[in-house]
Amino acid sequence: MVINPTLHTAIMAAFEGALNRALLLAPTTREELAGLEDRVFALHCNAPELEVFLQPTSDGIRLMGMYDGDITTSVRGAASDFAELVTASDPAATLINGGLELQGDSAPLLELQRILATLDMDWEAPLVDTFGDVAGHQVAQMLRAAAGWGNQASRSLARQLDEYIHEEARLIPPRLELEDFFRDVQELGLRVDRLQSRAQRLRRRLQKLQG
Amino acid sequence: MSEKDTTHFGYREVDKSDKAGMVADVFHSVASRYDLMNDLMSGGIHRIWKRFTIELSGVRKGHAVLDIAGGTGDLAARFSEIVGDTGRVVLADINDSMLQVGRDKLLDKGLQGNLEFVQADAQYLPFPDESFDCITIAFGLRNVTDKDLALRSMLRVLKPGGRLLVLEFSKPDSELLSKAYDAYSFRVLPLMGRLVANDSDSYQYLAESIRMHPDQDTLRDMMEDAGFTRCEYHNMTGGIVALHKGVKA
Repeated sequence: MVINPTLHTAIMAAFEGALNRALLLAPTTREELAGLEDRVFALHCNAPELEVFLQPTSDGIRLMGMYDGDITTSVRGAASDFAELVTASDPAATLINGGLELQGDSAPLLELQRILATLDMDWEAPLVDTFGDVAGHQVAQMLRAAAGWGNQASRSLARQLDEYIHEEARLIPPRLELEDFFRDVQELGLRVDRLQSRAQRLRRRLQKLQG
Repeated sequence: MSEKDTTHFGYREVDKSDKAGMVADVFHSVASRYDLMNDLMSGGIHRIWKRFTIELSGVRKGHAVLDIAGGTGDLAARFSEIVGDTGRVVLADINDSMLQVGRDKLLDKGLQGNLEFVQADAQYLPFPDESFDCITIAFGLRNVTDKDLALRSMLRVLKPGGRLLVLEFSKPDSELLSKAYDAYSFRVLPLMGRLVANDSDSYQYLAESIRMHPDQDTLRDMMEDAGFTRCEYHNMTGGIVALHKGVKA
């Protein structure tokens, strides 16, 4: 641990509190997390230098700055690599191709990522507790509509931006085109290798005939 | 009275046989407001110090844990959740008032089944040899009359490979912090004690006993002398508090 232990522990306590309060609103996620109980995940971040040990329990998630015991999965990398894993649509591919260094069993880590990525909180419960059944439900409906509109708008904006960059402005090639290109390059590389070995074989045969 | 028969009680030199009773009086007096005063005096940071102790303890499901001078049970409560039904947590305190407050608090929280409450002197622990995976003593060692005897007693009841964690006030690592801390301890704490707990003497004793407690390196040496191995300490909040760890070989 590089930062002051008091500060580090305080940060862990604050994050753990916030995370577990959020999990209280997501009973399904908590049930799924309980399936990973007693697994310990070590996250070593190089930049910034930080170590976090994460242990799912039946009550939520335990975050620790230090852990002296068996680790199920240890992951090392920069903060940006971890962010990529958290937001990845295909986390397994991100783990293999990304900048993260993995030790131990990857399956529980992918399961944890899936559980947290599908976190579905019941925001209506605390609103109903605070405002009552009718008003709470109305507020929740409004928030849901606003969130739905926000999600749709952001998806639409991302799609249009993607289309503009790839198709209209032709600033960068589309992903499929790029993958085709890489495949062609790989194929070409293989053919060159085969041609080179064939040429060597022919040269050796020629040398034998001359000798 | 020979030098060997005396010990310190704050800044005062007292007969060894009298210290336990005098410390007991202090804790009888503050027991009911102990948690509130801890929060006020430390600004809540004592919870962070204790949390770090739990992290470093390495306690897991099924472990047996002894929390000596466990007071109002902050550590024991968390350990009880961690060790689960297959584990065992013993909250021990020499002071019956503190033990009573701790037991009521933990039972009110619904914690039971794996918890035991024992009134015990840290110097003569009433447990068989090699009974515990982990022993903690938080803010208690400085009140013990014979610390060496207590450390040896803890070593005896630890299982091989088990660890002792001593969380205790210590020496600040900067001169400036030390001066500010002195001013706070000797001016603000007794005043706070008088206003909140109606007892300034106990908090004067607290400040004095902290100054008389061995510093980080001395306590580590004492643990090594008692037979612990891999002894190390972590300073927290600028050395105001230190967490010492030792392992039984």
